[in-house]
Amino acid sequence: MTNVRSNNFVELLREFYTAPYRGAVARARRDEDDLFMLFVFAELMGVPNPATYYTLELQPLLLERFHEWHTRMGLEHSPLDHFRCC
Amino acid sequence: MTISAAASPARDLLAKNIVFFGGKGGVGKTTAAASFAVAAADKTRQCLIVSTDPAHSLSDIFDANIKDTETPLTGNLTALEIDPDNAARTHIATVKEHMKTLVHPRLFGEIDRQLDLARYTPGATEAALLEQVADVMAMAGKKYDLVIFDTAPSGHTVRLLSLPEVMGAWIDGLLKHRARSSRLGSVLGKFKNERNTGDDLSLIDTTTSHDPRSLEGRIDSLLSVRRRKFILARDQLRDDTVTAFVLVINPDRLSILEGRDVVTTLGQFDMSVNSLVINRVLTDDTAASGSFIDARRSQEQTYLDQIEHDFSGLPKIIVPLKAQDIHGLDALRKLGEELIAG
Repeated sequence: MTNVRSNNFVELLREFYTAPYRGAVARARRDEDDLFMLFVFAELMGVPNPATYYTLELQPLLLERFHEWHTRMGLEHSPLDHFRCC
Repeated sequence: MTISAAASPARDLLAKNIVFFGGKGGVGKTTAAASFAVAAADKTRQCLIVSTDPAHSLSDIFDANIKDTETPLTGNLTALEIDPDNAARTHIATVKEHMKTLVHPRLFGEIDRQLDLARYTPGATEAALLEQVADVMAMAGKKYDLVIFDTAPSGHTVRLLSLPEVMGAWIDGLLKHRARSSRLGSVLGKFKNERNTGDDLSLIDTTTSHDPRSLEGRIDSLLSVRRRKFILARDQLRDDTVTAFVLVINPDRLSILEGRDVVTTLGQFDMSVNSLVINRVLTDDTAASGSFIDARRSQEQTYLDQIEHDFSGLPKIIVPLKAQDIHGLDALRKLGEELIAG
């Protein structure tokens, strides 16, 4: 009984100390991923991309993240004709 | 044939795995490349001659039907005319098929339209060509002892040879972001302690939770395959024990000027011209005379002096002007033997 209670306490402490960092790390990671999305979809949004030909094949793989990404980027609807996700 | 350098420069070329023939349009790159290839193949080397010029002329010079797949010409000699348009078509068709497995069938028409346009974006053909050139270069020293490139006119080729550097850097950049993201992801995993706390950012992880490893893995492996290819090509281009660049010029003003630019630009990418073929020269042995020919010969002498000055230190091979056009295996063999005889 006391053991369970102390486990809970450790858990609580861990949560207390890591929660702020977790948010920061998650945000940093999301920024990296957003930048990567921008690189891959750059050309279709009017930003020149020297490697469009090679990043084209990544587009299908990133399709499932596309909707989340463009809404977060402030675009209510998909900016791409062939990616009408919404 | 007169050789101005002490050793036979063309014989040194036989020791390489990759030889590029480049120069201004119409100077005789194809003739030089093809005759060198025939002679090298006769020396029991497995040779592949590849044309990267969109206006191919290998078929014409070999009097053979050379396709965009490896076409055997003789026991040791294979030829290939790269068709970047066809490669781009195949590449885009693959992406299309892949996308169609992911979207609703009513959007198939739009996918077709959009991706067909992608084929005509600036650089698509160039990228496809680079990809194929890199694939062919990967066969040098393995399937073929010697790969000989008959290239498009110089500006085009210099750009092509600089691409592995540029594209490699670009893909490196992409991979760097991927690596950073995955490092942050693993830190996040430790914080999470196997528990989803449902905070405002948990969405990030749920969006990748379908099959994160395979998706992340596929993206990284696609990028890495490209990168490996470009890095290999770039290293081959820079290694002068592997790759040689032969500049073909004529004794005339424009091809000399353009040749000088090629030397400078290749230098910027750590590549150097290994030897110079001076084609269509009215030598003293050329059985031609008359006041017109004499005037022309003295004009050429001025240019030959200038070449000696501008390209000092480069081994030079002088190919005299021939009475007949050169095509077909026999004629090419004869010229090729002259070329490497020294």
